[in-house]
Amino acid sequence: MKNLFGYIGRVFITFLQDLSGLFYLFQETVEQSFVLLSDRKKRSQARLLEYVDEIGVRSLPLVLTVSSLFGIALTVLISFQLKEIGGYSYIPGFVAVAIFREMAPLITAVIIAGRVGAAFTARIGTMKVSEEILALETMAINPVRFLVVQRFIGLLLSLPALTMLAGFTALFGSFLFGSTRLGIQPDTYVRETLDVLMFKDVYSGMIKASVFAVVIAMIGCYRGLVIDGGAEEVGRSTMLAVVSSTLAIIVLDTVMTAAFYG
Amino acid sequence: MRALMIKAQGIKKAYNGRAVLNGTDFVAERKKITYILGTSGGGKSTLLKILIGALKPDAGEVFFGESDITKLSERDLDPFRKKIGMLFQHGALLNSFTVGENIALPIREHTALDDMIIKIMVKMKLELVGLRDFENLQPGRLSGGMRKRVALARALALDPEVVFFDEPTSGLDPIVAAVITKLIADLNRLLGITCVVVTHTVEEAMRIADKIIILYRGKVLAEGTPREIRESASPLVQQFITGSPDGPISFHASSKDFREDLMVE
Repeated sequence: MKNLFGYIGRVFITFLQDLSGLFYLFQETVEQSFVLLSDRKKRSQARLLEYVDEIGVRSLPLVLTVSSLFGIALTVLISFQLKEIGGYSYIPGFVAVAIFREMAPLITAVIIAGRVGAAFTARIGTMKVSEEILALETMAINPVRFLVVQRFIGLLLSLPALTMLAGFTALFGSFLFGSTRLGIQPDTYVRETLDVLMFKDVYSGMIKASVFAVVIAMIGCYRGLVIDGGAEEVGRSTMLAVVSSTLAIIVLDTVMTAAFYG
Repeated sequence: MRALMIKAQGIKKAYNGRAVLNGTDFVAERKKITYILGTSGGGKSTLLKILIGALKPDAGEVFFGESDITKLSERDLDPFRKKIGMLFQHGALLNSFTVGENIALPIREHTALDDMIIKIMVKMKLELVGLRDFENLQPGRLSGGMRKRVALARALALDPEVVFFDEPTSGLDPIVAAVITKLIADLNRLLGITCVVVTHTVEEAMRIADKIIILYRGKVLAEGTPREIRESASPLVQQFITGSPDGPISFHASSKDFREDLMVE
């Protein structure tokens, strides 16, 4: 029993330490982002577009495949229920709202946490282990500005855009399935969607995506920077980064949905 | 100009309650080569990290010129860091950059120089370590000795006053090790750079050091010119410089009595 309390206490303290570390990193990242963006030479050196390409463009095939299939699955799922009462005309509106408010931000963020957040931790962690980060510090180069800022900005630009594209792709999947297999007239489908979908549904999803981008970038980079040890630590820390950012995304998603529509 | 470059006093550092440095003093004179020798785990690397400001000691102070760097914040350390160079044990080159970009990095960061001029500076630094043709290679394609020379070129990029070396010859074949040792001596003699070298290779230190400090269990065991060290009467020092397995330095790192440790209650 005593051990259990000790364990819970230790976990809690570690959690608080990580939280304050994350907060400090976020503060430093925002500060260094302004330093970088206001300096033309440093901005061109940072190769921001390369990061947008790596994070955003290269994630497109995966994100679009998953979201189009998801749009179809969602349509199939609700059509079972609505078939009984003959309410197929509700499908477009329901699907559009569910996708833009909830599904597109959540699914895109979880995919990116696994694909990109994990890569941040592994990359930065390997540099930490091989003393490259210490070398940057001894050269008076701020490691946050050198390693974290581009990833942060790249993700902040990419994730909302990816989420938007994922939303439209899911909607298109649902549209194709609804109009070919469920017999909903294409023009009815489009009209119903536009009737129900509000601007708020879209922008609340974009706000969510921006928050998730911050979470993924910060946790991914933080987990890499705090590694102390060897290759084994890199693996463990990468796993921890994916698990904790996925968890944080789901918790924050619930909180934000409640805040926007509760 | 003052003769003292770095002066550390009463440095203490413990990891998880185990004292690694226990009131260590250290002095490096300007334009001299100072070697820090010691057994593995004797606190050499920790001392080096404290001297370059990468690690804060639990107690003690490190003076670089007039200022105590242990009291400085991360940001205030930057002017000091621009005056030093550090050669890491495994080079610590950025793997995603080419050799040339690695050397250009600190120059780009801290000067407003033109790309053309930076390119010339990079070539000069590479020529200094004899690797002018390797500018466009990735560090991953170089041998261990070459990587160390590139890392040395990078450490020299901003013309530092002091260069720190962490085990510069470990893991290298004898010829490459001798080349690196000669490079250190040349930097000192030709460019007047103050060198602080951490190593466990005794012969290398004996050959080029102006002063040798031997660390043992977190304290300075002996200190002096290579000649003074060689003629030291201390059996500990003699065992260390002759590399004998028998002597007062035991290979058992644990302080507990073995028989006591085996007793199961």
